[in-house]
Amino acid sequence: MSLLHRIPFALRVPLFTAGLMILVGFLASQQVLSMLRQVQDDRIRELAQLQIESLSVALGPLVSRNDIWEVYDTLDRAAGQNESQRLIFAAVANEEGAVLAATDPRRAPVDSNMAGLTKGAQALRALSVVGDTAEIKVLAPIVYQGRTVGKILTEMDVSDLVAERKSVARVLLIGNTVATVLLAILGYLAMRRILMPVIRVVARMRDSAEAPEPIAQVDMPAGDSEMAQLAKSFNSMVGAIGAKAEADRRLAERERFVSLGRLSSSLAHEINNPLGGLLNVVDTVQKYADRPEVVRESAELLKRGLGHMRDVARATLDLNRLDLEGAILAAEDFQDLKLLIEPEISRQQQRLGWEVGKIACTLPAAPVRQIALNLLLNASEAAGKEGRVSLKAGHCKGRLCLEIADTGPGLSKAACVRLLGAGATTTGGGGVGLRLVRDLVSQLKGSVSVDRAGGETIIRVVLPC
Amino acid sequence: MLNRRRLLTGVGALTLLPTLPAHAMAPFRLGLTPVFLNNDAEVISRLRAAFSEALGVEVTLEQRRTYEEVTALLLEGSIDAAWLCGYPYLQHKEALSLMAVPVWNGRPLYQSYLIVGADSRAGGLVDLRGGTHAYSDPDSNSGYLVTVSDLVRIGERHETFFGRTIFTYGHRNVVRAVADGLVQSGSVDGYVWEALARAEPALTARTKVLTRSEWLGFPPFCGRRDQMNAPRMQAMQQAILGLDQTEKGRAALSLLQLDGMTVAEPSLFEGIAARMRIMATVRP
Repeated sequence: MSLLHRIPFALRVPLFTAGLMILVGFLASQQVLSMLRQVQDDRIRELAQLQIESLSVALGPLVSRNDIWEVYDTLDRAAGQNESQRLIFAAVANEEGAVLAATDPRRAPVDSNMAGLTKGAQALRALSVVGDTAEIKVLAPIVYQGRTVGKILTEMDVSDLVAERKSVARVLLIGNTVATVLLAILGYLAMRRILMPVIRVVARMRDSAEAPEPIAQVDMPAGDSEMAQLAKSFNSMVGAIGAKAEADRRLAERERFVSLGRLSSSLAHEINNPLGGLLNVVDTVQKYADRPEVVRESAELLKRGLGHMRDVARATLDLNRLDLEGAILAAEDFQDLKLLIEPEISRQQQRLGWEVGKIACTLPAAPVRQIALNLLLNASEAAGKEGRVSLKAGHCKGRLCLEIADTGPGLSKAACVRLLGAGATTTGGGGVGLRLVRDLVSQLKGSVSVDRAGGETIIRVVLPC
Repeated sequence: MLNRRRLLTGVGALTLLPTLPAHAMAPFRLGLTPVFLNNDAEVISRLRAAFSEALGVEVTLEQRRTYEEVTALLLEGSIDAAWLCGYPYLQHKEALSLMAVPVWNGRPLYQSYLIVGADSRAGGLVDLRGGTHAYSDPDSNSGYLVTVSDLVRIGERHETFFGRTIFTYGHRNVVRAVADGLVQSGSVDGYVWEALARAEPALTARTKVLTRSEWLGFPPFCGRRDQMNAPRMQAMQQAILGLDQTEKGRAALSLLQLDGMTVAEPSLFEGIAARMRIMATVRP
C-alpha cells in the first residue's frame, strides 16, 4: 500500500488503467477459451454420438444373438473405414459385461470382463475433453428392439481437436496479449493526456515553489472542463502570489523609509541642538569682532560644530547612496552607524555599548549597515527610556557576526515571525523593518537567531564572508 | 483328362449351343457362398462374365451366407447349380450330381489347415484345448468337418474341447480372426490360405499352419441329379469345364489361382466321406 502511494499520481492512474485493460483482456480470453472448450465438447459429443449410434444400430442384432464374428467384423470394418482413424479402439460386451469382440482382441479377449477396460470412461451425454488428453473413452449401451442387449466401449483419438484447441488458444492468447498491451498503452497515454494539466500544475509548483509561473496559454486545456478550471485557478493563484510578493517588496521598501523617517527626525534634532549653540557663537563673533582671541575661539567652536553636522549629513547620505555604489564593508561603516544611532540613544537617555572588532570581509556595506541600523533602532525602541542597547561586531569562525542586545521586554511573536520568517503575516505592531532584515540576511545567505539571557534580548546575525 | 475336357468343350460349343430350346434362354442361376470365395466382387463379376459368354445366356450368381442356405436353394430348385463343398455334396449325394471340380496345382485336391497365430506355441491340435477356435461353416469340410473328426479320432468331445468356438462363414474370415487374435486357432481351407498367402501375404504372415490334413476332393460344382440331363445343365457343365478355353474364363481362373476345371467321380470325395463316417459314430 505504501509502495503504491509512493508511485506518483500522474503514473498511478495510467498504470491502474493499463492494469484494468489487462484484467479485461484476461477475462475476455478466459471467456473465449471456455466457449471454445464448450464448442469442442459439443463437436466431440456429436461425433462420438454419430459413430456410436451408427455402430449400435449395426451391432444391436449381432449382440442380441452373441454373434462374435459379426460383431468383430463390424467393429473391424468401422475402425478400418474411419478415415481420420478417430476410432482407435472399440469393445462390445453382452448384458453380463463379457466381451464379445473388440477391435484389438488381444487387449480385450473374447469372454473377458469389460469392467477392466471401462476405467475413466465417460457417458456419452456428459462427454468432455479434459486437458491435453489425446484420447477419450466412452461407454454407451447398445439398445436393440427397445432392450439394452449389451454395451460398447469406444476410445477415440481427439488429438487433432486438442491440438486445434491448443493452437486456437495460442493464437487467441497472442492476439489478446497484443490487443491488451495496445489497450493498456492507449489507456496509459489517454490517462496521461487527461491528467496532463494536473501534471503540469504539479511540475510548476515543484519546479518554482518560491515564484511559481503561470501555465502558458498554449498548454491550457480547452473548454470548460474541471481541468481547464484547475489550470485557470492555478494561473490566478500564481497571479495572486506574484501580487503578494510585489506587495511584500513594497512593504519592505516602505519599512526602509519608515526607519529612515525615524532616523531623520533624530538627525534633525541632532542638527537643531548644535545649531542654537552655533548661532550663539556667531552672535559672540559679531559682538566681539575686535577681540581676535574671542573670534579665534568662536571660529574653532564653529568648525567643530559644523564638522559634526557635516559628519551626520555624510552618514545619512551614505545610507541612501551605498545601495548604488556597492562598497565593501569596513570598520568605518560601524562608526557611521554609531553616529546615526547616537541621537536616538541620547534622546531616550539610554546607554550604548559598542564593541566593533576588526572587519575584513567582502560583504557589501549597504545591506549590512541597513541590517545593523534597523536592529539598533528596534533595540532602542524596545529598551525604552534609560534602557541599554549594545552592538558587538566581529569575525567568528570565518564569518561576520553581529550581536545587537537591548534590555527591552523581548520580541513579540509577530516580530519574531517577521524576523525569523515562519510564514506568518506581517500585520501587528512593533518591530518595524524586521522583515527587511530577514530579506537582506537571506539575500546574503546568512542566518538570524533570537535569544534572551540576563534580562536582555539578543539578536544574532551571522553572515558568510 | 485334359484332352477329354477339351474334346467335350469343343463338342459342347459346336453342337449344343445352337440347338438350345427357347425356354433355355432364361437366366442360369448359379449359387455361390462367400465361405469359399473371398467375397471378391471382381472374382464374381469375372466368373459371371465368363459363364455368360460360354453359355450364351445370362448367368446370375446367387450368393448366400452359408452352405446350408445355398444347398437348400439348390435342392428346392431355386437355383440351377451351385459351387458347393464336398461335405454338403456328400450330405445330399442322392439328390445332387457332380458337374465339375476345380483343378488346383494340377490336381482336383486340397487340404484343410489348422492354423494358429504366428506367435502361438502350440505344437498340435491337443495343445489347443480350452482355447478359442474359429470354424468357417458347419457344412464346410475343411473349415469344420476335418477338425471335429480329428478331435473325435483322438477321443475328444468336439463340442467341449475348445473353450469357445465361433463360425465366421468365410475361410478368409477364419484367417483374419486368427491373425487379429480374436481366436487362438482356426480351421481353414488350405487352398484359400495358400491363395491368400499370395494375394495378402501380410495377413497370412500373422498366422502359421499347425497341421495339414490329407488331400481331399476340391469343392465341386453340383447340380440336381434329376436335372442333369437337361440341355441347359449340359451346356452349363460344358461352360464350366471349358473356362480355360476362353479369355474371360482364364481371367477368372487366374484370379482364383486355379488351373481349370475337370470332371470327377464321387470317389474323389472318399476322404471326406470317411470323416463323415467318423462323425456318424458320435452323432446322436
